[in-house]
Amino acid sequence: MAVEAQEANFFTTKLDFIVNWGRKNSLWPFPYGTACCAIEFMSTETSPYDLSRIGSEYVRFTPRQSDVLAVQGTITYKQAPILKRIYEQLAEPKWVIAMGACATSGGVYDCYCTVPGIDNIIPVDVYIGGCPSRPEAFFDAMFEIQKKVSDESYMAQRKERLKEQWELLQAKTAQAKQELSEYSRAKAQELKEKAECLKNTAIRKAEFWKENP
Amino acid sequence: MKVLTPEGEEKNLMVLNIGPSHGATHGCLRYITALDGENIAASVGEIGYLHRGFEKMAERGTWQQVLPLTDRLDYCSAMMNNFAYCRAVEKMLGIEIPERAKVIRVIVNELSRIADHFICDAAAAQDLGSTTGFFYLFDSREQTMRIWEKLTGARLTNSYGRIGGLYRDTYEGFEEDVLAVCKTVEKNLHDVHACFDRNRIFLDRTVNVGCMTPEKAISYGWTGPCLRATGVASDVRKDEPYWDYETYDWNVVTGTRGDVFDRLMVRLAEAEESLKIIRQALKRLAPGPVSVEDPRVRVPSHERVYQDMEALAGRFKSVFEGIRVPAGEYYCGTETANGELGFTLVSDGSGHPWRVKVRPPCFTQFAAFHELVEGGMIADSIACLSSINIIAGELDR
Amino acid sequence: MATSGDNVKEPIVATPEAAKAFEEAALKALEKFGAVRSEKNPWGLTVVVDRCNLHATVLAMRDELGLDMLMDIVGIDYLGFKDYVGPRFAVEYVFKSVYEPAKRMMVKVLVEEADLKVPTISDLYGIANWQEREVYDQYGVIFEGHPDLRRILNHVEFVGHPLRKDYPAHRRQWLSTNDYLYPALEKRLESKGYRILERPEEINPSEEEYLQGSIKK
Repeated sequence: MAVEAQEANFFTTKLDFIVNWGRKNSLWPFPYGTACCAIEFMSTETSPYDLSRIGSEYVRFTPRQSDVLAVQGTITYKQAPILKRIYEQLAEPKWVIAMGACATSGGVYDCYCTVPGIDNIIPVDVYIGGCPSRPEAFFDAMFEIQKKVSDESYMAQRKERLKEQWELLQAKTAQAKQELSEYSRAKAQELKEKAECLKNTAIRKAEFWKENP
Repeated sequence: MKVLTPEGEEKNLMVLNIGPSHGATHGCLRYITALDGENIAASVGEIGYLHRGFEKMAERGTWQQVLPLTDRLDYCSAMMNNFAYCRAVEKMLGIEIPERAKVIRVIVNELSRIADHFICDAAAAQDLGSTTGFFYLFDSREQTMRIWEKLTGARLTNSYGRIGGLYRDTYEGFEEDVLAVCKTVEKNLHDVHACFDRNRIFLDRTVNVGCMTPEKAISYGWTGPCLRATGVASDVRKDEPYWDYETYDWNVVTGTRGDVFDRLMVRLAEAEESLKIIRQALKRLAPGPVSVEDPRVRVPSHERVYQDMEALAGRFKSVFEGIRVPAGEYYCGTETANGELGFTLVSDGSGHPWRVKVRPPCFTQFAAFHELVEGGMIADSIACLSSINIIAGELDR
Repeated sequence: MATSGDNVKEPIVATPEAAKAFEEAALKALEKFGAVRSEKNPWGLTVVVDRCNLHATVLAMRDELGLDMLMDIVGIDYLGFKDYVGPRFAVEYVFKSVYEPAKRMMVKVLVEEADLKVPTISDLYGIANWQEREVYDQYGVIFEGHPDLRRILNHVEFVGHPLRKDYPAHRRQWLSTNDYLYPALEKRLESKGYRILERPEEINPSEEEYLQGSIKK
């Protein structure tokens, strides 16, 4: 057994597959819970439903450590800047779930103070209906996110990212080159002026000694 | 921030903002604190992050159309809000609901109270680091939810109350289900008491933390379990009994110190009292109508509408024009899980409410939040916040 | 520890007779402030007082009548109310007594739109502070003498008062940045006897950088 394991201690796979497999089975949600849907999310966490079956039991309350932003409940205009800032703080890759009718479209609240759907502020990947959504619906949304994750290509994203970085690098190099040439031109000019100045002084000195031997 | 303290010392205070999206703020509220080391020198609360315009929306529809909105006030015990609103309107109309409706309302009310108290204690346990307590308390809550699904079709926002009675009668086997839940609740209560009562860590975190005196609590308008934890035996169910609450045998639970521990334990003890009421009420459940047959409020059933011209006209009128509540202004307070939920209703005699003002119990409790935390440690403010059970939907409406 | 059974005293239950007796006593006690019973509330007791007498009336109610709890402050806008003649706005105060349950009453103050001012009672009841802020936010009623009258439910950039009948329900107003609580905290510190010597400079809401990433439409 041990020998076998030593001998066959590798397997071949696609990098895309293994990265997506890791990502989709450890989607850590950030519950931006404001209203009733947050209570249903708490039920989703408990044993009858058990969110840890799909590896999402780690609820992180900081956007730096989570992958999925689950917006649960009504978003009012007073909250909108906060939600936007939290979305911007989430590290890539990130996905957004709009849980419940309020987050999706404003729901029953059609009033002076409620945002009619969070897609006015941030991009959304999955919408769930219901007022509030049932725990099963939240599971469905997580499965949708998982599907979305497995369709993504890490290599393609990497290519894009590298391309962006390459372009950035090129732009920066060009800028640096230009700056350098400008700098050297300025430096040369300065040196020239300095030399001219020295020369003038030397001439003036020579003339002085000539006149006053 | 550099300050000169009242004692004449020069000190550097750190300003720390907590919320609106924080794991322990249970919804969206925010407070900003000035910290002197780890002690809170001053704290200012800010609300309104879930202000959804309940009062403006209520003015747009008919009297019945306010009901689904009341669900979303205190969403942990939605049906209590339904009944509180219905009771206020019924008082204005001068309607006495049938016996069976009263008993069902009492049963549902008390089960909701248990669920709400359990959510509060579960969240507090979670914030204090006891995940076990959280799971014990959520267990019986899930069972209650299953009854709600059978009874009303929804888990959380049920809209079960109607002006003049209930949406429909109970299903077959309701009594057995409720009794089964009572048993689970008892078991969970036993487990949770075993978890907390003599737990050194829990006691250190909660006893003599965030104390409130009765005088201050009354000045800040505290009601419900938080006021009772300070030692004032005030409960609308006992003081101004409705739905025959005076005929049940139960006690008002009070605390002694008004600290976090008392507030959490009063809730657990109240759940026990609620169990007593439920068991007595189940015995009184006799067959009968669940809604009044008053033509002013009763919406005729579909069977009658298809056969009877008058019923058709009645249904049309009650749906499009709404119930005509006599003109006037009235305040009616009902005891919900968090305290006295009051509705101030202004009617101009038409089918639409002129003004619906909610008196949320959380609002008064959060208004006094700085009194609880100032002088204490920053970590204790989290315990204080979870013990006063802030529900943002009710706080900001 | 609080358990059922011990430390429980049987409270006094409100009866219709006790409520009636209280109503008569209250009307008699408040007569000197010009309090008149309102016809609009046949289910309980509502008295209308002039706003200059409001503070004295509430003080008498708290100390003489024993109404120790302020339940709610309600603003009402009567614009377009059927068959209504009188000032456009009203502010209603709802009181109850904690120890004597039969005692409940409301006080109503009528205010003209041109002169929307009511004296504050935040020095008598702790909760009045926030409740008056709410009425100010929703109706624009100015409470004279209030220590910190600012918006509570709506955001800082909100223009207008949403619960007035002439505010359209769908007029939405975006907020560009988060609310700024520093001044309120300083006020609170100063009320506790602290003196601010130096303000931190890192956070300044008017700075361009702070507003980065905000929503402005």
